[in-house]
Amino acid sequence: MLTREQAQKITAKTLSFSTFPECDISVNSSERAFIRFALNDVTTSGFTVEQSMSISSVRDGQSGSTRVDEFDDDSLREAVKRTERLATIAPANPERVPPLEKQKYPELENYAASTAGARNQAMIPHIRAIIDGAKANNLVAAGFFERSAETAAIANKQGNFGYGRVTDAGLSATVRNAAGSSSGWASQPAVLIESIDGAAVAKTAIDKCLRWKEPRRLDPGKYTVVLEPTATGDLVQMMGFGMQARAAEEGRSFLSKQGGGTLEGEKLFPEFVTLRSDPFNKLYSALPWSGGGGFGFGGGGGGAGGGLPAERITWIENGVVKNLVYDRYWAAKAGKQPTPFPNRMVLEGGGKSLADLIASVDRGLLVTRFWYIRVVNPQTMQVTGLTRDGVFLIEQGKVTAPVMNFRFNQSPVEMLKNTLAMGTPVRVRGGEGQGMIAPAIVVKDFSFTSISDAV
Amino acid sequence: MPANGLTRRAFIGSSAAAALAARLFAAPEGSTKPNPELENLAAAALREAKKLKASYADIRIIRYRQQFLTVRLNPERGTGKTLEVPVVSDGGSFGFGVRVIVDGAWGFAASPLVTQEEIARMVGEAVAVARANVAIRSKPVELAPVPVYRERWQTPHERDPFAVPLEEKLELIRTAAAEVKKEKGVFSSSCNLSFRSEDKYFASSVGSSIQQLNLQTYAMVNATATDFKRRLTKSRRYQPQQVTAGYEYVPLMNLVENAQRIRTEVIEHLNAPPVTPGKKDLVLMPSHLWLTIHESIGHSTELDRALGYEANFAGTSFLTTDKMGKERVGSELMNIWGDRTTDRGLATTGFDDDGVKATKFPIVEKGIFKHYQTIRDQAHLIGERESRGCCYADNWSSVPFQRMPNVWLEPGKSGTSIDDLIAGVDDGILIDGDGSFSIDQQRYNFQFGGDAFWEIKHGKKQGMVSRVAYQSRTTDFWQSLDLIAGPSYWQQWGAPNDGKGEPEQINSVSHGCSPARFRQVNVIQTD
Repeated sequence: MLTREQAQKITAKTLSFSTFPECDISVNSSERAFIRFALNDVTTSGFTVEQSMSISSVRDGQSGSTRVDEFDDDSLREAVKRTERLATIAPANPERVPPLEKQKYPELENYAASTAGARNQAMIPHIRAIIDGAKANNLVAAGFFERSAETAAIANKQGNFGYGRVTDAGLSATVRNAAGSSSGWASQPAVLIESIDGAAVAKTAIDKCLRWKEPRRLDPGKYTVVLEPTATGDLVQMMGFGMQARAAEEGRSFLSKQGGGTLEGEKLFPEFVTLRSDPFNKLYSALPWSGGGGFGFGGGGGGAGGGLPAERITWIENGVVKNLVYDRYWAAKAGKQPTPFPNRMVLEGGGKSLADLIASVDRGLLVTRFWYIRVVNPQTMQVTGLTRDGVFLIEQGKVTAPVMNFRFNQSPVEMLKNTLAMGTPVRVRGGEGQGMIAPAIVVKDFSFTSISDAV
Repeated sequence: MPANGLTRRAFIGSSAAAALAARLFAAPEGSTKPNPELENLAAAALREAKKLKASYADIRIIRYRQQFLTVRLNPERGTGKTLEVPVVSDGGSFGFGVRVIVDGAWGFAASPLVTQEEIARMVGEAVAVARANVAIRSKPVELAPVPVYRERWQTPHERDPFAVPLEEKLELIRTAAAEVKKEKGVFSSSCNLSFRSEDKYFASSVGSSIQQLNLQTYAMVNATATDFKRRLTKSRRYQPQQVTAGYEYVPLMNLVENAQRIRTEVIEHLNAPPVTPGKKDLVLMPSHLWLTIHESIGHSTELDRALGYEANFAGTSFLTTDKMGKERVGSELMNIWGDRTTDRGLATTGFDDDGVKATKFPIVEKGIFKHYQTIRDQAHLIGERESRGCCYADNWSSVPFQRMPNVWLEPGKSGTSIDDLIAGVDDGILIDGDGSFSIDQQRYNFQFGGDAFWEIKHGKKQGMVSRVAYQSRTTDFWQSLDLIAGPSYWQQWGAPNDGKGEPEQINSVSHGCSPARFRQVNVIQTD
């Protein structure tokens, strides 16, 4: 992977090929090692090396972009030339923002050499713990263990340069009985691969599978729910997409005010709801700038959103909508400071244990996680999806019986408004999305609309 | 299919690695065999794998190219003046991936440096992966036999989309977006065109050597209307059929004419009353039904899901292997094919990533589930002797695994029209275009929205309604199918980005059908 010196050299060389006043570059190199397993056996597994550079050239507001993963001089020279040719033909972009001047990036690096260097030998004992645990209970395990390491740099003709390194790892497992009538799941995302514990993942997934036997069929409807942290994260992470000031002002968001304007500054949620982006949280590994690189948020070479120094930012503070997302263009138009895109999200908690939360519910449902979550109405943020891998009835503060899965139609915005109590936040990653740091929560009037036969 | 003498403009011709890619994948007039230089690179991989005691090895060397052009017309903040915001990008990727079987376990490695030395190094890495995994392997990998091929194949096309001047493409999308914005009530509009090419070379220790060019062409026109007083936004989209074809397909999309249509329909959508929920008959257009076919039948008949290989991510299937050949999943009218040979289908190709020639096979016959989608390392698990050619990896850096072919529904009887479908509905909804979609991990319970909805009352199509979604259970839904329009209505729509696998990969796939009618489906009113 590219060192800082190599990144400096290659970006400088690429910029030297530029003949336009503006040229933005973002370069990534990464390595990943992964093992997939199913039916208590290893399936596919690999070690991959990747690199790519995004280049964008601008003159008189006309812009052209390319992506290339060949880093020899001729390839890079030709790639820059290509962007300039494209820009010559493209119409001028009236929403183009000026290139970033030299930025001061924070000292932000949470890079684990142990994670970056781990290969199959380091992952296999944890997978074996899961497979052996499943076999010992006559169950069938499937799962995925992956570790990745990435270095990234951004640079432009105005002299801005940033470099960062990130690592991450994750182990997840689904344990089912041989008849396919019960399923349990657990997952551990971590920056440090040595903090992943296959035996703990196995224990949780096996326990869920063994307990979710002959589930009861309950009517769909509104229920009080206790969402385990992954279930909370599955839904709350989607709110990041709804926080844009532009969508709010243009009437397309839950933050749009009737008749025009936004709900920024208004108290929409209970006092104890605080939602932040925190790339400095030690449970995350993040780049020192926002909107670029780092597992799922590409680009960032200095477009309307990317390249600004990473910062902690509070979106909802004590129930009040504190900040909306302003890219550099919209911020300039609105007379606001630009913000990073919601990423590395943290929903602060109330400190209660999961057992405390369950004990607080007279009748409700305990949900392990959600699946196949899709936006139904972007304006209200109503989403639909299903419960998966463990739903249980809570009666008089105790978990009493497994329950068949449900489909829900529910806005995470309304869900946060209806939140009654919160547990201690942990880092979670479900089946979809990047995950976040989230607590277990208790929510009233969660809307389940039909029953699913799925296991 | 023989190569048709495509001449590529050497857009990235003068560089070293890029020049290598251009040279490797150039298609000289009349060429029907793979490029010898590619065969030499592959030979290095296969030699090294043999030396390291691999019982099987394959290599894919791939160059991708993607061009994306879009314009969005939206009001400027503060002035309301219409701004035209363009994005123009043209990029690519070049690299290779090697698979090996050592001691009965798979190993895979990939790199963007396409040189003999790096190929040999990565074969070593793949072998190391396989050797390490033997510790947790319980059964050795078994591959179904495959004939040896030495062939060249490409998407049939007349005009290389990358050779068409950008000016011509920009002119088209600017005109279409502007047409939408001519309607005063439209808040914003956009139009995009995109093209993707995959130059792929495959060679395996079986002896096959296969060079292919797959070309995809996409476009879309969008309209958004907003009523600030009511805090209401609605959209309408023209999504032309997504195809494997060249630029010759673009004029057939009629982007400008359809832009004129949707600018009116978006206003109708904004003002449409919400649906009254309840059990209703549905008449589903091919632009909508493709997605329901995809999610409910396409995914449930994937063998890897049925066996449990996807249990930790995409899920399993209600169609367990004991149901093959006998389970009723739909009405007698339901005949569904898996097919990588359909004209212009997104999953249409010459050979899969196991080196298996593209096939066509029945998935559902007269409502009975017949066959799974399979690949070489799984066919034997259900007692089959050949793969059905459904192996695919979305990148040179991705591991090939079982992916969906085009899965299509046979049309109804000749002469059955869409009016016949509507005439038989007393209280129903006609749905055009896809919208929100969600289905459970065994493919029973689903919910689908759409792009536009019209009420049907007493056998006649009425005005638009809004906030519609329907929920059903896969087998209930397909058993309620009671009429399909004839072959002249049959069309394919699809998705470029179907997700599955860990690490997650995407797949492009089409689903053809004629408009079809489903009885008494649960319609809900959404937000």
